[in-house]
Amino acid sequence: MGDPFTDVLVGFAAELRAAGLTVGTGDVLTYFAAMTPLDPTDLVDLYWAGRATLVSRREDGGVYDEVFRRYFLGADAPAKNQLVLRAQSVAEAEAELVMPGTEPGPGENQERPFLGWMASGADTLKHRSFTACTPAELAALRRIMATMRLTPPRRRTRRTRPAAAGPEPDMRATIRESMRMHGEPPGQLFFRQRKTKLRPLILILDVSGSMADYSRHLLQFAHTARHAAARVEVFCFGTRLTRITRELAHQRVDAALEEAARTVVDWDGGTRIGESLDTFVRKWARGGLCRGAVVVICSDGLDRGDPEVLATAMERLARLCHRIVWLNPHKGDDRDFRPSTLGMIVAAPHIDLLLSGHDLASLEELAGLLPVLN
Amino acid sequence: MEYPGTVTELTASLRQGGYLADRGLATTLLVSLSLRRPVLLEGEVGVGKTEVAKVLAAVFGRKLIRLQCYEGITTSQALYEWDYSRQMLQIRALSQAEAADERSVDKLFGPKFLLERPLLEAVRQGDRAVLLIDEIDRADDEFEAFLLEVLSDFQISIPELGTVTADSRPVVILTSNRTRELHDALRRRCLYHWIGYPTAAREAEIVAVREPAAAGQLTRKVVAAVHRLREMDLAKPPGVAETIDWVRTLGVLGENELTPDAASDTLGAVIKDRDDLDLVRENLAEIISGG
Repeated sequence: MGDPFTDVLVGFAAELRAAGLTVGTGDVLTYFAAMTPLDPTDLVDLYWAGRATLVSRREDGGVYDEVFRRYFLGADAPAKNQLVLRAQSVAEAEAELVMPGTEPGPGENQERPFLGWMASGADTLKHRSFTACTPAELAALRRIMATMRLTPPRRRTRRTRPAAAGPEPDMRATIRESMRMHGEPPGQLFFRQRKTKLRPLILILDVSGSMADYSRHLLQFAHTARHAAARVEVFCFGTRLTRITRELAHQRVDAALEEAARTVVDWDGGTRIGESLDTFVRKWARGGLCRGAVVVICSDGLDRGDPEVLATAMERLARLCHRIVWLNPHKGDDRDFRPSTLGMIVAAPHIDLLLSGHDLASLEELAGLLPVLN
Repeated sequence: MEYPGTVTELTASLRQGGYLADRGLATTLLVSLSLRRPVLLEGEVGVGKTEVAKVLAAVFGRKLIRLQCYEGITTSQALYEWDYSRQMLQIRALSQAEAADERSVDKLFGPKFLLERPLLEAVRQGDRAVLLIDEIDRADDEFEAFLLEVLSDFQISIPELGTVTADSRPVVILTSNRTRELHDALRRRCLYHWIGYPTAAREAEIVAVREPAAAGQLTRKVVAAVHRLREMDLAKPPGVAETIDWVRTLGVLGENELTPDAASDTLGAVIKDRDDLDLVRENLAEIISGG
């Protein structure tokens, strides 16, 4: 230590950590190594080398830019006194930072609004916390839900496994057996069978005003499902769609619920099912997120948007995924339930399975039907 | 040809190969070349992620080894496989005495019967190769974990032959379209760069490099139109590849001007979705006029 350059870079990494990025010691070492072929007095090099070595996600780019600007270019920037930076490189870096070629779009920041400095802006939005569950209520729900397993249906994969009998002969095992007999034709043929794999499960939960009573245990349910099946993606929507898979990745239920509460800033706002599903289709499903997946949508179908948008989104979604399950709490235990809201009528032709999901019993019904949904 | 030591030289070399890299990408690549760390490139479809590896290989005279990932890809498709049918023929040809001989059996699992797949080939070639692992997000989780192992040590163990170790590390480029989240462990082993859509001026430059015959006036118009298309709410926004395709298509048809008729006839080169087509046709005049 004592070398100002080292201090500055280590300090910069600490700042990034404080802003919520995961920056390991190994990453910092790589950053140092990366600066070797570059010019350490050139801010643009410092910027891009750090961006390539310390950031591993596009969404984190915004945080990095912010911290870099504060640390190296701000009025009372810590790095200014310790580093002799080339004057023209400061100007260059300013230009680069105002409009880097890879600046994340405005939508990207909304995607993960739990970044420190965005919290103040979120205050104006309604921010109802579902951490307000009474402890006894939560504990009871958790006990019951922990016993329920959401198992999506299986699909065949390209991979094979050894089997007693099967459509494909196992050449490798057969030859090995033959080798053991010094090249004699083997006494028995070995076979392989196609493996099966769980389909991905995608939960899209309505957390708007009309669904607020249900959303609390739905999120609890989403959290349990996240830990039960191989690949689960969870999205929330109200006026807009938010992906909360990463927030739910925390092991502790409370922490996960708290994270999700911070992310879903439109908590208790209006409902725009059509637009939210449209966003899902455009941003996630088109990329292949839900190919071959079972999509479970939890909503009452009270859409304030254009029904045309919902119809198109549902049609596209139905083409992109394997099966769509819709949970509508208004269905209740009514076996002859007919959808009455415009949203439900429009969506109905594309739904493979309509359930209620208004109480634990119906969620159990879902857990029972899901594995055989082929 | 040796890899260059400065960002400026690297940018110039890539330009010779017909690839315009911005400062960020060039810096990331230079760091990757000097540290021999894999680069993970993410970005919208059609912004030239795969092209980076191709140009690197072409400009610096390395062999491009491409591993296209897909769902269910197995190690035997990525690493190596024994040539079973040849082994079988060899066994048939062995005489009784030869078959009893240990050495002839050993030969059956020798290099002669080994089919090299991309990863093994890359390890053997070392610095003489550029390894492109394309669309890693399409492969399964298990494959990613396995890849991690290869990328950290650059050595492959073949039980019958022993361990193959790279004498020098190849340049490795991974691309992902973000259809699923990659593991943090893999990200940590790589340098990361996001390739976004270029600015209009830069895109015009890219088209000029890739399609030198195109008229500058037409190119600028097409690029402006494509930028407006990207602002529209399309299901599949056009990438840079589509811009180049569109200019090329217009060139083939002998159009010098982006008229509504010409644009309408060639829209299939940029718009690849029926709903998008309907939306674009409705607003075509506005899109190509620049208003």
